[in-house]
Amino acid sequence: MSDNRLDVDTLVVGGGIAGMQASLDLADQGYQVALVERDPSIGGKMIGLSKVFPTLDCCSCITTPKMAAVAHHDNIPLLTYSEVESVASNKNGFVAQVLRKPRYVQEEDCTGCRSCELVCPIDLPDDENEFGRTSHRVIYVPFTTAVPQTALIDLDHCIYCGKCIKACPPDAIDFTQQPEHLEIEAKTIVLATGYEVTPYDAKKEYGAGKLGNVIDALMMERLLAPTGPYGRVLRPSDGKQPDSIAYVQCAGSRDLTLGVSYCSRVCCMYAIKQAMLLSGALPMADITIYYMDIRTFGKGYEQFYQNAKTMGIEFVKGKVARITEDENQNPVVRVELIDENSRVAERTHDLVVLSVGMLPGWNPQATFGVPVAEAGFIQIPDCNVSPTVTTQPGIYATGTAAGPMDIVDTIMTAGAAAAEAAAYMQNHKEQEPAVPEAAPAMRDKRSTVHA
Amino acid sequence: MTAKERDEAKKQTEMLAALRKQHSDQVKQAQALLKEQQNVRKTLRGAMKAGPRTVPQLAEATGLPSAEVLWQVTAMKKYGLVIEEGLNEDYEYYLYALSEEVKR
Ligand SMILES: Cc1cc2nc3c(=O)[nH]c(=O)nc-3n(C[C@H](O)[C@H](O)[C@H](O)COP(=O)(O)OP(=O)(O)OC[C@H]3O[C@@H](n4cnc5c(N)ncnc54)[C@H](O)[C@@H]3O)c2cc1C
Ligand code: SF4
Repeated sequence: MSDNRLDVDTLVVGGGIAGMQASLDLADQGYQVALVERDPSIGGKMIGLSKVFPTLDCCSCITTPKMAAVAHHDNIPLLTYSEVESVASNKNGFVAQVLRKPRYVQEEDCTGCRSCELVCPIDLPDDENEFGRTSHRVIYVPFTTAVPQTALIDLDHCIYCGKCIKACPPDAIDFTQQPEHLEIEAKTIVLATGYEVTPYDAKKEYGAGKLGNVIDALMMERLLAPTGPYGRVLRPSDGKQPDSIAYVQCAGSRDLTLGVSYCSRVCCMYAIKQAMLLSGALPMADITIYYMDIRTFGKGYEQFYQNAKTMGIEFVKGKVARITEDENQNPVVRVELIDENSRVAERTHDLVVLSVGMLPGWNPQATFGVPVAEAGFIQIPDCNVSPTVTTQPGIYATGTAAGPMDIVDTIMTAGAAAAEAAAYMQNHKEQEPAVPEAAPAMRDKRSTVHA
Repeated sequence: MTAKERDEAKKQTEMLAALRKQHSDQVKQAQALLKEQQNVRKTLRGAMKAGPRTVPQLAEATGLPSAEVLWQVTAMKKYGLVIEEGLNEDYEYYLYALSEEVKR
């Protein structure tokens, strides 16, 4: 049963850079877009990155304006902390049932002032945004640049002391909030559900996540970001400022033991980027990249790699067979050095970063009837000609939901998916029988919410 | 406090008590976590009373694993209870001290 209804032109699922860009591209043309994001904030992986290759622009500085543009766009009803539960087709397109999870805080009233967070007595590991490296309170605003700036409560750890209720200026806390159901009718759908990275405990040869100073590259993004947990790069076992940092490439890609045959495309580039940022943050540190081959596929990327070499970053051609640790929790890398007659060496570092691969995030088959291809990413039948067109008419895919890609390609496919969706709606409008109506000069695409 | 405000406050207290009762097992677990956290924080504050300390020094003084000390200190720093005071003499570890707010 639906309490609410929303009529839009396009339903966009996933609020990472792909979903945000597709939403903006459609909304700017006058289409009504409902953007449904599973997490409490939009922004996806990109808002957690430090800087972007190959320009080294601050990631937060380029993502936050997009997030704000989405949130403030008149043509985009934004539904965060929400999930599409089922989708049916009808003569106009699709009808989606959306679950709005309770935050136990009234979204309309909360101003994101964080007064509640400051008085709440319990700290929990921030697993959602900081890989558990720091804390948030039981009631918390997800992160400083979250959109919307709305708090939520992890009721599983709440002691119902009521301190937040007393501290909240607009009286926004509501322990009685229930899940809400919303029905969204849309003519087209854009799937932008993104990717996950190789679980960092996936490989037992690399310590299966049990070595204190072996982290993955997304965690390193947070350590490098000014908003990160420590505000600087420290190793997690004891807070030491690392003097020697190593990257292990292809830690989850091109690895049949993990069932991943493909190259994740971005790992060489992000490792080079992080190495450059580290040599800025820790000028005295030695940085090594163990690689099989370096893939610099995009515009300006090869130059980026050459710049890194001249900065003194050591590139070692070799396959890392194993990572263990010594008595001081220093990771010990056992590597076959290909340029030295495949001699096997053991090298000790302070911190090792796994250049984890991109894995499919969410499988839309059950909900949207859109199948995935062999690797688990959304199937695109004619990827050379129509890289965003799925097997289902009216449903498009953008970004890493359709396969590993960087931000540049993600934004391009977002534009392409928006254009495909707009063309589809235009074609179908033309096919509709001409019903005489008092046609307004411009079609009003504002959504209508029926109570 | 007006009579109406008193009435509302009473209702709120009753609502919270009812919720605590309804979720009693989970509340017990959360309370245990809080208690443990308070104890750990007390020990750490004690160890920092004498002056700024590194994570390994705090770990040695408290007997807590150093990764746990780093997590606690990071969390305390986030909410203004601890401040970072530059590197130690070997340039290896940062020093952490109690903030003025805690010292007061
Ligand atoms: C360590 C690392 C560093 C990187 N650095 C760079 C770089 O410097 N430059 C660069 O170009 N690229 C970089 N990348 C790649 C970049 O992160 C991606 O290209 C980009 O973020 C992909 O965006 P997306 O929107 O497709 O996916 P995501 O960012 O994953 O967004 C997907 C969104 O959909 C939501 N979602 C998922 N499932 C559902 C569902 N069922 N319902 C509702 N919502 C859902 C998710 O919560 C998320 O918000 C890096 C990648 C990694 C791993
Ligand atoms: S009631 Fe729960 S969320 Fe609110 S302050 Fe107390 S523990 Fe935190």
